[in-house]
This record gives sequence, structure tokens and C-alpha cells, in this order.
Amino acid sequence: MLGIDDPQIWVVYILCVLSAIGCMLYGALNWNKGT
Amino acid sequence: MVLNTAILGITVLIYLMIIFYLGWLGYKRTKAIDDYMVAGRNIHPYILALSYGATFISTSAIVGFGGAAGALGMGLLWLALMNIVVGIFIAFVIFGSRTRKMGKNLQAVTFPELLGRRFDSRFIQGFSGILIAIFMPLYTGIVLIGGARFVETTLGINYDIALMILTIIVAAYVITGGLIAVMYTDALQGTLMFIGMTILLVFTYIRLGGVVEAHQALTNIAYLVPESLAKGGHMGWTAMPAFGTPIWWNLISTLVLGVGIGVLAQPQLVVRFMTVKDDKALNRAVFVGGPFILMMTGVAFTVGALSNAYFFQKNEMISLAVAGGNTDLIIPEFINSAMPEVFVVLFMLVLLAAAMSTLSSQYHTMGTAIGHDFYRQYVKKGKISHTIDVTKIGIGLTILASVVLAYVLPISIIAPATAIFFGLCAAAFLPMYIGAIFWKRMTKEGAIASMLVGTFSSLSWLAFVHAKEAAPLGISQALFGKATLLTGTWTVVDPILVATPLAMLTAIVVSLATRPIPQEHLEKCFDNIK
Repeated sequence: MLGIDDPQIWVVYILCVLSAIGCMLYGALNWNKGT
Repeated sequence: MVLNTAILGITVLIYLMIIFYLGWLGYKRTKAIDDYMVAGRNIHPYILALSYGATFISTSAIVGFGGAAGALGMGLLWLALMNIVVGIFIAFVIFGSRTRKMGKNLQAVTFPELLGRRFDSRFIQGFSGILIAIFMPLYTGIVLIGGARFVETTLGINYDIALMILTIIVAAYVITGGLIAVMYTDALQGTLMFIGMTILLVFTYIRLGGVVEAHQALTNIAYLVPESLAKGGHMGWTAMPAFGTPIWWNLISTLVLGVGIGVLAQPQLVVRFMTVKDDKALNRAVFVGGPFILMMTGVAFTVGALSNAYFFQKNEMISLAVAGGNTDLIIPEFINSAMPEVFVVLFMLVLLAAAMSTLSSQYHTMGTAIGHDFYRQYVKKGKISHTIDVTKIGIGLTILASVVLAYVLPISIIAPATAIFFGLCAAAFLPMYIGAIFWKRMTKEGAIASMLVGTFSSLSWLAFVHAKEAAPLGISQALFGKATLLTGTWTVVDPILVATPLAMLTAIVVSLATRPIPQEHLEKCFDNIK
């Protein structure tokens, strides 16, 4: 997967990208909440 | 590099002029104590996110840890994941909101003050302040040395002069402009870092023919792992080290857990949650903070590992060999060799920005710890006037201390400073901090016991068991005639796995055995906290 054989590595590679996207989604969905 | 000196010199000059303008802006906007200490509790979410990120990521995170990935491989990405999930998401969403509200309820302007007022204890505030004032200059010293070495090698300025110039420039805007100046300049530095690291990632993948091709090229050279590393468990740069081996323990306990969790109790980061006026700003900061950290540590670790594939294609060597065994040289060697000349200039600026943004917050936090937390609130019992002069003197003194330490202490003692400070914060502050904002039954006695047990067990573990610090410190050798008191796997287990659980257990047991904090005080602390 992605040129990486060890699943522990390609999983974490994808998780890093997904977690950053998750942060953006959380921020966007709660953009006006919290006042 | 000499060719670049003129271009780099002009670029650095323009950069410094903008920094001074932002510092002056901070000075103009600082009218009251809250402005100087917590940026008036009204900072913009974008500035908060970048300031938090740029403070979090120092030159050592990019060059030091990126170089470590050059040696150990992409397994370090677990730390990048921790940085995003724990360092940004959990920190802002779970800790940030409660910290901001409690800080406002108790009118706290520093992390030690938040803890001290929550448990109604000047001792907690004073002890935390003095702990920060003693150990943070070590951590500052290593960032300062890194920054000065960078100025020395790139601009050809004598090391001593470089160290002085760097200190004076950062001190000037921190002392005059307080946290507003620190956060404004951080935001500029963070923006530069984001642009630089994005270009670095794109160029690296282009150099190696694409994302999958680059990874495949790195996978294909696993047989080149040096024998000494292979014996320690190294299985290649696109594989995790073998489970339970010394390299695996080092990777998981020190790097992933030690730094990944240690970040939650860093005083210079926690105080930033108190700089915004509502949770809306924290939510918006998460939007910027997540991708920012991905582009910092995620890129540094990926590029560090991929540098092996580049150097192999170029001259059939691995990065560690190109850098002569010094992992700190892997990233600079790769940049100089693989990147276009104009990017080398930009990247040098990125490293300078990374050093300055971390230094400025360290100066501010150390100064407030000694001036405000220890001297005004603990020694003088809060009975001296509420001005910012004491803090300014505190900042001046601690800056002086970190410069002296950078000169006096041997590099073997100052090099593990980041790990020592993170480990100490995780043990001394984290259990107390978690109890403070989540557990109403936690008592003053429980908090004090947890802080003392965390402090002394963490320092003892570092001095007598954890080989990475115990061996160079030499205390165990001097007292007991052996480098570490325990042997085997224990010597690679980070103190966060020992001292932090011990301090947590102490907090729970002592709190349950002592009288609860009066309901009235708790209502004040937890007002508006669901």
C-alpha cells in the first residue's frame, strides 16, 4: 500500500492525513459554536 | 552556502524588520497586566493556532527529530499522529475549553497560577514557578544553541556573537511587548514554517518520482540498514522496529509517549488557551492547528526517512553515512543537496523562525514563572503592586540564566534537556492539571503530594535509571559506581511510563484520604463549566 509493506506504517501515514482533515472538519462544523 | 550569504543576509534583515514591527505593535497594544501576561484574553484564532504550533515546534523538532527519522525511519509518524490527535485535538477541545473558562473564573494569568488558585495554595504556584524557572532554561539553552549554530554556519557570523544577537533580538520584543508581541511574531514565524515545509514535501516527492515511487524506493533499500541498528530491532525505513527491541522501546516510550503526551502539560502552551475570549476561537484554532502540525512533524519525519532513498540514488549511501553519523546533519545535508538554491535560503529562514518562536515563549514563560508566580505571589504573598515590571525583571534574569547555561554546561548534559523538561512537566504537572479541570474531589493535599511525587520520581528516574540521561549526567556513576541502577529494558523505559502513573495514583489516594475542597470555592472554579 502506497509503496510501504509494513501495515503499521501505511496505516499511520493515512491516519496522520485523516486526523488533520478531521481537525479541519471539526473546526468547520463548530465554526460559530462556543459563544 | 557562501554564495547565498548576501541573499540570505538581505532576507533575514527584511524578516527581522517585520518582526520588530510586530513587536512594536505588541508594545503599543499592551496597556494592562492581562495584556502582558495573557494577550488581553482576546487573541484571533488564527494567531492562537499558529502561535501554539510554532511554539510547540522548535528547530529540534524539524532538524533533530527529522534527523532521527532519517536514522530510524517512518515509524516516527506515530509521534506525528500523537502531535495532531493529542497535541491539537484533545488539547484544544477537551483541555482548552475548561482551562480557558477556569482561568477566567479565577483570574489566573499563568499556568502555575491556574493550578495554585484552583487548589487555593500559594505553595503550588510558587513550587511550580520555581520548577519552571530552574529546568526551563536548560530546554531554552538547547534551542538557543541550535539557533546560534544555524546563524553561525549560514551567515558566517562568529558563534558567540550569533548567540548574543539572537538573544538580544528575541529578548527585546518579549520584554517590551509581552505575550501579544510573542504571539504576533509567532504567527508570522508559523506562516513561514508552513510555507517552507509544504514546499519541502512537494519537492522531495517530485525528486523521487512521486509518492508511491518514493516510498517504494525507500522500501527497496531496507537491506542497507547498518548492522548495529539492525541488531537493535531496525527493520528498514518503511517498517516499524521489531516489537520489544531497544529501538522499539526508544521510539514508543520516549518519542511517541514522552513527547506526545508530555505536550499536554507544557506551561508555555497551556497559557495560550487563556488568551482567547470564547470557545468559538478554540474551535476555529483547531481548523488551522491540525493541518499545521501535520505539515511540521509529519513532513519532517517523512522527508527525514525519504532522504535515504535520495542519497542512495545519488551516491549509493544512506543518510546516516552522508551525515557522518550525526543525525542532526541529515536534514541540512538533504536540503543543501536536493533542493534548489532559492529554497535553501527560504528553509534557513524557516529554521530561524522555528528557533525564535520557541525561544520567545520560553522567555515569557520563564520570566512570568520566576517574577509573577514565585516572587510576587509566593515570596511576597501577592502583597506587592500588580505591575508588569517584576515580570520584566524575571524575564531578563532567566534569559541571562539560559545564556550562561548554554555556555557553562557541557553539551552532553544540555542535549537531553528537551526530554528532561517534557518528562518533568508530564509527571509534576499533568496529573494535577487533569485533576484540577476534571475532578472536583481532588484536594489541595492530593495536588501537592502528586506534584512532589511526580517531580522527584521523574528526576530520580532520569538521574539513575533512564540511560539516555543518566549516563551523560553521571550522578549515578559518581554515587553508586554504575551508570544506571537498573539494567535491561528498564534503562530505555521513559519516566512518563513510571513517574506520571505514580503521581496520578498519589493524587487519587491522597485526595480520597483528605477533606474535600469547600463547595463554595468549587462553584467559583467550575462556574460555566459543564
